[in-house]
Amino acid sequence: MSAEKTKKETKIKNNDDEKAYVIKKAAENLEKEFKEHSVAEFFKKNKQMLGLYGKVRTLTMIIHEYVSNSLDACEETGILPDIDVKIDELGEEYYEVTVKDNGPGISRENVGKAFGKLLAGTKFHRLKQSRGQQGIGCSGCTMLSQMTTGKPSKIITGQQGKKPISLELTIDPSKNEPKIEEIKEIEKEFRGTAVAAKFKGVLYRDSDQGALEYLRRTAIANPHAKISFRDPLGQKIVFNRTQTVLPELAGEIKPHPKGVTVDDVIFMGKKTGARTTLSFLTNEFDRMGAKGLNELKQMVDFDLIKDPKQLDWSEAEQIIKAFKKIDFIAPTTDSLRPIGEKQIQGSLENIVKPEFLTVMTRKPTVYAGGYPFQVEIAIAYGGGAGRKVGEETKMEIMRFANRVPLLFDQGNCALTKAIQSVDWKRYDIKDPDTSPVTIFINFISVHIPYTGAGKQAIADEEEVLEEVRLALMQTGRKAGIYIAHKRRESENQQKRLMFYKYIPEICSALSQITKANEEKLKKNMEQMVLTKLKIEDEKNAEMQKQAEKALRNDENSVVIKEKKPKTEKKEQHNTKRKK
Amino acid sequence: MVKIMAEKKHKKETKAKEKVSPKQIAERIKKSAEIMVKQIEKQEDPEFTTMQRGKSNVVWDEKKGYLALGDKEIKRTFLNIAHARKFMQTTLIMQKTQDYLLNNKTASIREIYYELKHTIKGTKENTFEGQDESDPIIVDLEHSVDTIREKLNLHANPKGTLYGNITLKDKMHNNDKFNASKLGRGGWSIMSRIEPEEIELLETDAEYLLVCETEAMFERLIEEGYPKPNKCLLIGTGGQAARGARRLIHRIHEELDLPVYVFTDGDPYGWYIYSVIKQGSMALAAHSEFMSVPDAKYIGMTLDDVKNYELENVTEHMKEGDVKRAKEMMAYPWFQNKEWQDQLKKAITQKIRIEQQALANKKLDFVATHYLPEKIRNNEFLP
Repeated sequence: MSAEKTKKETKIKNNDDEKAYVIKKAAENLEKEFKEHSVAEFFKKNKQMLGLYGKVRTLTMIIHEYVSNSLDACEETGILPDIDVKIDELGEEYYEVTVKDNGPGISRENVGKAFGKLLAGTKFHRLKQSRGQQGIGCSGCTMLSQMTTGKPSKIITGQQGKKPISLELTIDPSKNEPKIEEIKEIEKEFRGTAVAAKFKGVLYRDSDQGALEYLRRTAIANPHAKISFRDPLGQKIVFNRTQTVLPELAGEIKPHPKGVTVDDVIFMGKKTGARTTLSFLTNEFDRMGAKGLNELKQMVDFDLIKDPKQLDWSEAEQIIKAFKKIDFIAPTTDSLRPIGEKQIQGSLENIVKPEFLTVMTRKPTVYAGGYPFQVEIAIAYGGGAGRKVGEETKMEIMRFANRVPLLFDQGNCALTKAIQSVDWKRYDIKDPDTSPVTIFINFISVHIPYTGAGKQAIADEEEVLEEVRLALMQTGRKAGIYIAHKRRESENQQKRLMFYKYIPEICSALSQITKANEEKLKKNMEQMVLTKLKIEDEKNAEMQKQAEKALRNDENSVVIKEKKPKTEKKEQHNTKRKK
Repeated sequence: MVKIMAEKKHKKETKAKEKVSPKQIAERIKKSAEIMVKQIEKQEDPEFTTMQRGKSNVVWDEKKGYLALGDKEIKRTFLNIAHARKFMQTTLIMQKTQDYLLNNKTASIREIYYELKHTIKGTKENTFEGQDESDPIIVDLEHSVDTIREKLNLHANPKGTLYGNITLKDKMHNNDKFNASKLGRGGWSIMSRIEPEEIELLETDAEYLLVCETEAMFERLIEEGYPKPNKCLLIGTGGQAARGARRLIHRIHEELDLPVYVFTDGDPYGWYIYSVIKQGSMALAAHSEFMSVPDAKYIGMTLDDVKNYELENVTEHMKEGDVKRAKEMMAYPWFQNKEWQDQLKKAITQKIRIEQQALANKKLDFVATHYLPEKIRNNEFLP
């Protein structure tokens, strides 16, 4: 960015003969500038690129960083996460965020690195399903806090069997080094990490893209976590866990030959312990068999005995070209960790509280030839499902990437596009925009194909679109059967009300004409209506049974989840009241 | 011979229908309600039966010379989403008309609507949302108990005027006797309900009844002093004849035995006014026997008048809608005679129409001094 700016300025200033000199000078300056720039300063100047734009969005992203960090820490050490989030309003567009977990805590040596060094995470260049592909990390929050308020972040952390410590932390932007002050031991039992940081130029809103919605969705996708939240008005919301078993940790996998770039090959070659390119390729890549290697040998013009650390760009390029031509077995998919149908059912029932719910975890598959992925879909209908806008209830779309809620860029996302491509009328959802429906989609992959640096939308990979669409249609079919049943049921209810309301008028008129007993007439007519509707109810139930049976014969991999007893109870209750 | 017998028998039937008393009608309504009550007690869906109306159930009775209703019935039941509300409304109308009949009250169809309109308890719904909901139910009931609205003590808005030397008695108003030629130039406003038990036709010296489409022509003939010397009764219908006017024309013809001549504009609309007076309408096909005058004759205007009376320069251009109407009418069975086919064909090919008032082109009094007397003298009518 600054390079362009400088070029522009020089263009305006210069005559022809001066031009060469000035350009040379500018280039020198630029180089100098770049050398002085640390990662931290880069961050400071390019906040937008990291998704930190929009006042509401920035606050949500901050919460995301801290909470993801806590969840990861707990899961990796086998602890069921208890996370407390607080947001306090200190002034206009000025807030303090406090996040406390019951994780393993951080040692005195590592605390600076975790909260005070940008790009210091352990998550780069590893192929593993993880939350941390997005955003700026906790250190980014520390940076943002000191940039907007000049204040340090306060951290308290305690490890098992050690005295907890409290400290204040800032980052030296030019060196990208943490600066720790006020470090103290605390005389109190505490295991976990708590961080409190202040931010200006951010805004809390109870909206679809606010922190509360982020936490609600995080709780849905992480049924093993208990998350409590206190908003700036002091209202406390607790999302209890519905699972007491931690999700299995995702394994690290070797990259599939179809899923790497020239740059990846060079980088991996430098890191490998293998001494020949041959063994490097055999050891570091997924599905690399003797057949593939033989084919590859024919396609490159250098000897595979070569030290992989010495691979140059054109050689790596030859390898990639060969990878593209060779038929490899699709990548191993057993590294993917879905949330699970039961788990999703539990948390949606607990948090969304729909009348009907159908959940499906699809089998893993592959996109772009080399990246395994898997989708989980749930359709919730009625009850608390859908998004309440004033009096209306609209369709709610909950997108997740590796359990992380995606709240922004909904329109750009392949998941949304897949939803829009489905003809919902076929599943008795007449107008999806105004139906009480929540659609849950969790996209799981070791490499999520985000559309941009904001990492809030998934790119339109053909296989992704098709797979999500297919899954939506399969779950939609289940939902449709229920919704049709429900619709018939509610039509029956309406019918009864309609017949009932006319009965007093009719009976009064008839008894005036004929002198027949009005009360007796009324009772008889009401009985008549009930008898008729009972027959229709039975018909409806029979139709439902047939539809479900047909579906079971059709595909048996899907589980239907319906809270039948609840609706039945409701109906009985209504009947009683009417009588 | 057979024909005469049949006609006599028919007249007898009509007389019987005419003579049915309010009490009898009330009894019919009660019977219908009792059937419903019995059905309800037996846990059966209560039914209301009436005649299907509209084109699909209208037949042209050539022998009787009028449109009649076919025998297609419709049943309205309560336990039917599409019928429930109408069923409720039907019982309300039944109850209210029975009440009128037993208490000697009459009401306009607007009044019964207002009397019955109220919010249904526990809802935001009214028993009737508009008069357009109650009017068709009244017609249903007329058909169901085989009578006419007037005998349910209901009436629509009055329209039409009577003038001429005829004495009437209003039994509902001090038994007033009055002569329709002594009420000033405006004549007597025909009430919408003129059943014999209310209005009695006493006597007249008239030799025929002339029915006029436009009020303007009605006034012209009175101003020219036409009725008295020509021994004529005059009825102005003001366009399409209302039920009351049709009923009065029917009664004057039946009770006083006067021939009826109809005088309308010379266009499909005017000719259809004649047709309704003579043969009845599709909407009220069931009531034809109470209202139609199959013996009525058409005096004018005809398209032949244009030539015969040299009115070529006062004709008007016929609109597309009129041409279409003429084509429709050509297909009706009751227009299947040489004279009318001829008229309609002329209308369609020449695309002209001629108004009654166009006769003023000759002279204001031409209609009274020449046109009508000549036509009647020469027996120049269309059937």
